Amino acid sequence: MNVHKRIAIYGKGGIGKSSTASNVAAACADEGYKVMIIGCDPKSDSSITLLGGKRIPTILDLLRDGVDVKEEDVIFKGYKGVQCVEVGGPEPGIGCAGRGIIVAIQTLKKISKSLNEMDLIIYDVPGDIVCGGFVAPIRKGLVKEAYVLTSGEYMPLYAANNICRGLAKINTPLSGIICNSRSVSREEEIVTKFAAEIGSELMAFIPKEQIVQDCERDGFSVIEKAPDSNIAQIYRKLARAIMERDTSVMPKALDDERLRELTR
Amino acid sequence: MDNKNISIIHPRPSSIVAALYTLRDLNVDVAILHGPPGCSFKHARLLEEDGIHVVTTALDESGFVFGGHDALVNILHKVNDMFHPKLIGVVGTCASMIIGEEMHEPVMEANLDVPVIEVEVHAGYRNNTKGVLFALESALDAGIIDREEFKRQQHLLEEATNVELRHGAASKEYLAPSRGDVKYKVAQRIIELLKEGKRGITIMNAKKETGYMFADITLAVNEVAEQLGKADNIINMANIDQNLGLPRVRHHAECIMKDFEEKGLKVHEIIGGLDEYPITGTTIDQLIQEKYSDYDFAVITGVPHAIPMDHLSDMEIISVTNGPRQVLPLKELGHEHVLVEIDLHPKTLGVNHIVESEFGATLREVAKESL
Ligand SMILES: Nc1ncnc2c1ncn2[C@@H]1O[C@H](COP(=O)(O)OP(=O)(O)OP(=O)(O)O)[C@@H](O)[C@H]1O
Ligand code: SF4
Ligand code: SF4
Ligand SMILES: [Mg+2]
Repeated sequence: MNVHKRIAIYGKGGIGKSSTASNVAAACADEGYKVMIIGCDPKSDSSITLLGGKRIPTILDLLRDGVDVKEEDVIFKGYKGVQCVEVGGPEPGIGCAGRGIIVAIQTLKKISKSLNEMDLIIYDVPGDIVCGGFVAPIRKGLVKEAYVLTSGEYMPLYAANNICRGLAKINTPLSGIICNSRSVSREEEIVTKFAAEIGSELMAFIPKEQIVQDCERDGFSVIEKAPDSNIAQIYRKLARAIMERDTSVMPKALDDERLRELTR
Repeated sequence: MDNKNISIIHPRPSSIVAALYTLRDLNVDVAILHGPPGCSFKHARLLEEDGIHVVTTALDESGFVFGGHDALVNILHKVNDMFHPKLIGVVGTCASMIIGEEMHEPVMEANLDVPVIEVEVHAGYRNNTKGVLFALESALDAGIIDREEFKRQQHLLEEATNVELRHGAASKEYLAPSRGDVKYKVAQRIIELLKEGKRGITIMNAKKETGYMFADITLAVNEVAEQLGKADNIINMANIDQNLGLPRVRHHAECIMKDFEEKGLKVHEIIGGLDEYPITGTTIDQLIQEKYSDYDFAVITGVPHAIPMDHLSDMEIISVTNGPRQVLPLKELGHEHVLVEIDLHPKTLGVNHIVESEFGATLREVAKESL
């Protein structure tokens, strides 16, 4: 296997980035890939479902305590050996989470040898890219391609469109759009069209299913807890598609009017 | 004014520094910089020489990320134990302000028996006088100054900003620093003028403590005139009204006046307080028009660019500044000789007597040789 995927999943807050990331990570691990997931969100919730519901010490927690951080202090093995890292950060409303991401990413880059050995690294970022720090994984050259997650609703599409504009601005190629369904009308059609118009394509249509939340509540991914479910098959298919994907584009964002038309 | 929108590229003091100096004038015993350890170092050091304690919460990388609430609470306790201050100032910096640090909460939490002036300021303001204004507003809130003094200061600030915009450091996109004319030659010229029986005015229009050194030039000109038997040819103006300004500034005026009196120097015209350098121009202009318009030369020190040229243009002007970027604008105004007292400010901190100036010393030496 000679793959070296470095991806980030962007999308509106709460749209399902973290659960999609951990399910894709788990599915790739099932296939035998060496996978790492790096949670770049101060809420540190990217890897919980890969670790049976447990929280791990974050890079910033350790840096704050003045620890001379080593790889083994911050990288934890989860489901099928998926390596889990959480950047961490301040409580909401205090300090600077953006700077935190920059510092943590730089630290990780310096201390981690396994970063290079991974077949797939997924950077799971928060929904709102409020400032430069939140795109540090891209700016520091760690992310090579981006995926954008959206539903067929107007606001998530609006956010996705903005993200595409931003990606083009910082010269980061888009490898595909993923639809995480919110069960709205004509959803697959709308997102397929959106993907095509910005110059990309729809990679997967993930239905909205209670089982995702049930597994999450128990602290697991769907892949681990409900491997035979319909949605697990969809995550696996998406995982394979991501690993095989070899095309990406500089997305062309739509203007507001066109976006509105699309969702009508 | 059309130069309000120019983008000035030469380095200049920041609003944080301006806030620090204002806190000093308000007589705080300790100023706490809430920010990175090296912030405003050079001026913080100078202020220590001026007798106030300056400390920093020394926010590091982790402080930026997680905030500096605890660091500020701790340092408030620490300075209270170490220095037993009667008045404390806390000053924001870019780092703490950008991440939204709240300074009031830590001050409340520390709950000291000492009044604390909190100044939310960073270095990103176009006019650094913003730092002064913020410090004064906070002092007003804390009951350290009254509204009348605040209004007066606010007016002075606006005028100071205008002075800089008109002919000062904010008048051009870039002003190269210059050392000005050769002091020796200008000293010779003054002696020559006096020997010819010409009459001159000394105008000290100094900013606060810089007066300690500019006053020496007034002294030197008078000494030399006396040696040449021309003492009566000189008229002295100085902005050392002892009843105007914040307490510390008034104290400087008293000290300088005392030294003048001891040396037997007569100040013919008091043109304002030591913080009134931006507004003395009108008074000076009027005085000259009414009484001294037929004088031959003027030696203007401190902030010469604040004085209008209307009734000075027929005189030969020797001006002395401590701003190396002030030389060009002064020449453009029509001042024949422009001198710079390099590094004046540090030498005027922590003193209460007139200190020798380079030009004053040169003038005295040249006079000795030519007698
Ligand atoms: N396909 C789905 N079906 C049902 N529930 C889902 C699905 N995808 C995600 N969810 C649920 O939606 C909620 C939000 O998901 P998640 O935390 O992954 O979003 P996010 O985009 O990472 O949010 P944030 O921007 O805050 O990081 C979770 O409770 C998750 O279980
Ligand atoms: S916007 Fe970004 S850089 Fe600014 S304080 Fe917030 S997290 Fe930090
Ligand atoms: S950038 Fe601002 S906070 Fe940082 S050292 Fe300079 S003045 Fe201080
Ligand atoms: Mg998330």
